[in-house]
Amino acid sequence: MGIPLNIDWQQILLHLFNFAILAGGLYFLLYKPVKNFMEQRIAYYQGMEQEAAAKIEQANAQELEYRQRLESAEQEANRKKEQAARDAEKTAQMILRDANKQREQILAQAKKDAQHEKEKILQDAKEEIVELAMAATVKMLHGEAVSHE
Amino acid sequence: MSKKKRVTGLIIWLGIVLALLVCGLLTGTPAAKQESIKEVMRDAVLHESNKISLFGILDVNPALVSALTVTAVVLLIAACIRIFIIPRFQYVPGKFQLLLEQMVGFFDNLAKTNSPHRNGFLGAYVFAAGVYIFIGTLFELFGLQGVTTKGMSIALPAPLSDINAAISLGCLSYLVILSGGIVGNGFRGVGSTLKDFSLPISMSFRLFGALLSGLLVTELVYYYIHLSFVLPVLVGIMFTLLHALIQTYVLTMLTALFYGEVSEPHKKK
Repeated sequence: MGIPLNIDWQQILLHLFNFAILAGGLYFLLYKPVKNFMEQRIAYYQGMEQEAAAKIEQANAQELEYRQRLESAEQEANRKKEQAARDAEKTAQMILRDANKQREQILAQAKKDAQHEKEKILQDAKEEIVELAMAATVKMLHGEAVSHE
Repeated sequence: MSKKKRVTGLIIWLGIVLALLVCGLLTGTPAAKQESIKEVMRDAVLHESNKISLFGILDVNPALVSALTVTAVVLLIAACIRIFIIPRFQYVPGKFQLLLEQMVGFFDNLAKTNSPHRNGFLGAYVFAAGVYIFIGTLFELFGLQGVTTKGMSIALPAPLSDINAAISLGCLSYLVILSGGIVGNGFRGVGSTLKDFSLPISMSFRLFGALLSGLLVTELVYYYIHLSFVLPVLVGIMFTLLHALIQTYVLTMLTALFYGEVSEPHKKK
């Protein structure tokens, strides 16, 4: 008894043989090369994307670094400004102190000079008075002598 | 006379000529048929009488010659594409490159989505099966003629309209599914594949039935000359295109689905 529907095992095997050739050929000629190309393109664009992401990350890191540098520079500038203000204050106080000291010295010197001048004037006046007294005495004595004569 | 009027006149004249030609053909006496419609239909299903000699070695069903022709043509085209087109592929694809990538990408994605764990071999298999079913089904549209062992001329049918071709592809798909089960899950995979023992039969006969119905309708339409005008545009081309697409999708999708199911690693409870 034959197989229903005229099924023929030999022809089934021949169809399998035919399909095996077709599948193998299509795999090596079309499927694999096209798939490889698509994967290569995906890898290329992923590489570009990663590169872009790395560059963005690097740019962000640089921006952060520059911002930190800017902040630290501002802090340094403020610190220096404050230091300069403190130094100026200190210098001003020192100058003021020196000026006061110098003023006191000048005043003391002036007082001393004035005292000295006063004493000298008094001494001169005394000497002048003595001289005048002596002159007057001499003159008087000379007048008396003249009158006695 | 303006250009528009001339074109309108030309169209009307062509219409009249065509109508007269159709009327002339329809009113003529058809030539005597070598086979009755019953014989044609029976032979389309069983391939009992019309055999073709395969290189003088053995007599085979016409569908086997169709299958070998399809394979030769497809491989020739694939070789030309491999040699002349693929080396010139660009990262920004042209139309033809896009078509090739869509084809490969479609079957590759079908394999990946239905069988996420193991899909390398499956993608290649469903691609080959899809191309074979689609181009094999469209093959009947070309109406290539073969000479039978009785000396009659017959149009070569779609390869899968032969029960032997459908059984071979259905059983091969089942074996592929079984191999997925063995590789993925070992003995458990074999068990889960054998559980669906009706799968090769359903796959084979689904293909056979779908392709054979298309063939029978086409045979019927072309058998009568009165049905051979306008109607073949619908039944011969649109239906063939439609069931080529549907059968390609159905078999590849089912294979991928069952393959994914049986190759999925078993989770221990």
